[in-house]
Amino acid sequence: MPFTGNRYDQERGKEEEIEDWEKRLGSQEASYINLPMNKEEYETFYKELVSAEVVTLHEFEKREIFEGCMPIEIMAKRGEDTLRFGPLKPVGFTDPRTTRRPYAVVQLRQDDVNGTIYNLVGFQTNLKYGEQKRVFSHIPGLANAEFVKYGVMHRNTYINSSELLDNTYCLKKNPNIYFAGQITGVEGYVESISSGMVVGLNVVNKLQGKEKIEFPKNTMIGALANYIATPNEKFQPMNANFGILPELGERIKDKKVKYGKLADRAIEALNAIK
Amino acid sequence: MNQEVTIIGGGLAGCEAAYQIAKQGIKVKLYEMKPTKFSEAHSNENLAEIVCSNSFKSNLHTNACGLLKEELRLLDSLLIKCADETSVPAGQALAVDREEFAKLVTKKIKENPNIEIINQEYTGEGLCIGNSEERIVNGEKYENIMIVATGPLTSDTLAKNISRLTGEDRLYFYDAAAPIVSKESIDMNIAFYRKPL
Ligand SMILES: Cc1cc2nc3c(=O)[nH]c(=O)nc-3n(C[C@H](O)[C@H](O)[C@H](O)COP(=O)(O)OP(=O)(O)OC[C@H]3O[C@@H](n4cnc5c(N)ncnc54)[C@H](O)[C@@H]3O)c2cc1C
Ligand SMILES: Cc1cc2nc3c(=O)[nH]c(=O)nc-3n(C[C@H](O)[C@H](O)[C@H](O)COP(=O)(O)OP(=O)(O)OC[C@H]3O[C@@H](n4cnc5c(N)ncnc54)[C@H](O)[C@@H]3O)c2cc1C
Repeated sequence: MPFTGNRYDQERGKEEEIEDWEKRLGSQEASYINLPMNKEEYETFYKELVSAEVVTLHEFEKREIFEGCMPIEIMAKRGEDTLRFGPLKPVGFTDPRTTRRPYAVVQLRQDDVNGTIYNLVGFQTNLKYGEQKRVFSHIPGLANAEFVKYGVMHRNTYINSSELLDNTYCLKKNPNIYFAGQITGVEGYVESISSGMVVGLNVVNKLQGKEKIEFPKNTMIGALANYIATPNEKFQPMNANFGILPELGERIKDKKVKYGKLADRAIEALNAIK
Repeated sequence: MNQEVTIIGGGLAGCEAAYQIAKQGIKVKLYEMKPTKFSEAHSNENLAEIVCSNSFKSNLHTNACGLLKEELRLLDSLLIKCADETSVPAGQALAVDREEFAKLVTKKIKENPNIEIINQEYTGEGLCIGNSEERIVNGEKYENIMIVATGPLTSDTLAKNISRLTGEDRLYFYDAAAPIVSKESIDMNIAFYRKPL
């Protein structure tokens, strides 16, 4: 159902032979995954979206929050077709399955260098977490989607670490300044603690004239530190999840087994450097 | 070399960093603006206040956050140890009594002889890029290392100065994020994956 490629390069040119078009699409980078919807699918999704339960924001958040960025459910309420002329615009797409333009298209954009996690383009939202799972599962291709992070809209001060920090949370422009916690773009209690740990240990080493400690990328603590320090035009806060760990060399279907192996590998790697 | 580290913010990250540094015999000055000033979400005098849910999420090895906690325990995390000690029954999750948790962390930090708590807002006027200051005091060289750990509700003045330090467009005040899904859970109906028609 989904197909990859950028919105602007998908459509078959007027003069283009089918074979050339196919070849061109086939060679496109996989940084976007496109989920085409037909009319019926769109209408079902739309009905669920506009009637879903939203989170009540804190007073201090309400004041400014919608200034730059409208939640998808609010945009949807402006009219049944508003999304089809906005973030779900099908113009420029030809569904390889039907060779016709779909009724609407949801685009997923690659979110990490490994290409293991994808964000839903334009879907910033205030729906409750449970509702996000329920409503977005109506999008073709996402029926069994695993949400590694839910959409949020809330007050959150954070710096563009992907540009500013190295993988020890140290300011590149001034090695005597570190950032730690949610302000670095790690998200969550335990994640904040983990960045405090990395910074604490590194400051000790720096003062003792020792080398910096770069935690292995296959540990969760190291993967988070690396995630936030990796150049990323669309930098967004991130919580611990298995999607940011490098993949195992083998394919394992059972998620529990797979996560168990990833976790074993992480603990082993951590013990090795301790 | 006479060493001292300044940490701004006595929240979860700031307290963990302070403990790890003090443990090695290095002096820490920990600035915490409470109780003189509170963010919109903080209300309690203690350090390491948990502002929302009392859950630190799953403890399971096969859960990403469970794994992270396991790693932190291996590294002797003070905060996870305090969470373990003040946990309340919550199935597979690590949930804490938030009051007891914050009290315990505060006690551990306060009684540490290498940590000095300064209850004052740090405004960051002195933050600057470029050569770090090295101070000579009584013939000894101090290397000033600073850790900014002021959290999602960093005070306004400091936030302004951080954006001066980092560049205006590199500090964000709101998080408006779309959901993220794992690729393997997307139904990539093979016939159409990169192979039109
Ligand atoms: C800056 C910030 C960062 C947070 N980071 C995390 C985190 O890393 N991990 C975590 O588990 N929780 C985080 N939360 C809290 C999280 O939003 C939920 O409160 C919590 O996960 C419980 O969810 P629930 O499904 O039980 O509650 P629900 O019944 O879904 O909602 C209750 C509360 O959840 C919050 N919430 C839920 N969905 C959203 C949303 N889309 N946008 C904004 N708020 C929402 C609201 O505070 C709301 O009052 C954060 C909150 C804020 C403000
Ligand atoms: C409303 C809300 C709900 C959240 N809910 C959850 C949740 O349920 N689950 C979850 O995992 N995560 C949640 N988070 C996200 C995040 O995990 C927590 O905010 C976490 O406490 C971040 O840790 P931290 O150490 O970075 O900051 P904090 O714990 O906030 O610590 C920062 C400290 O710095 C102090 N400070 C700020 N500015 C200054 C200054 N200029 N000078 C001196 N001191 C200063 C503050 O008073 C505070 O004590 C939530 C965030 C918010 C805002």
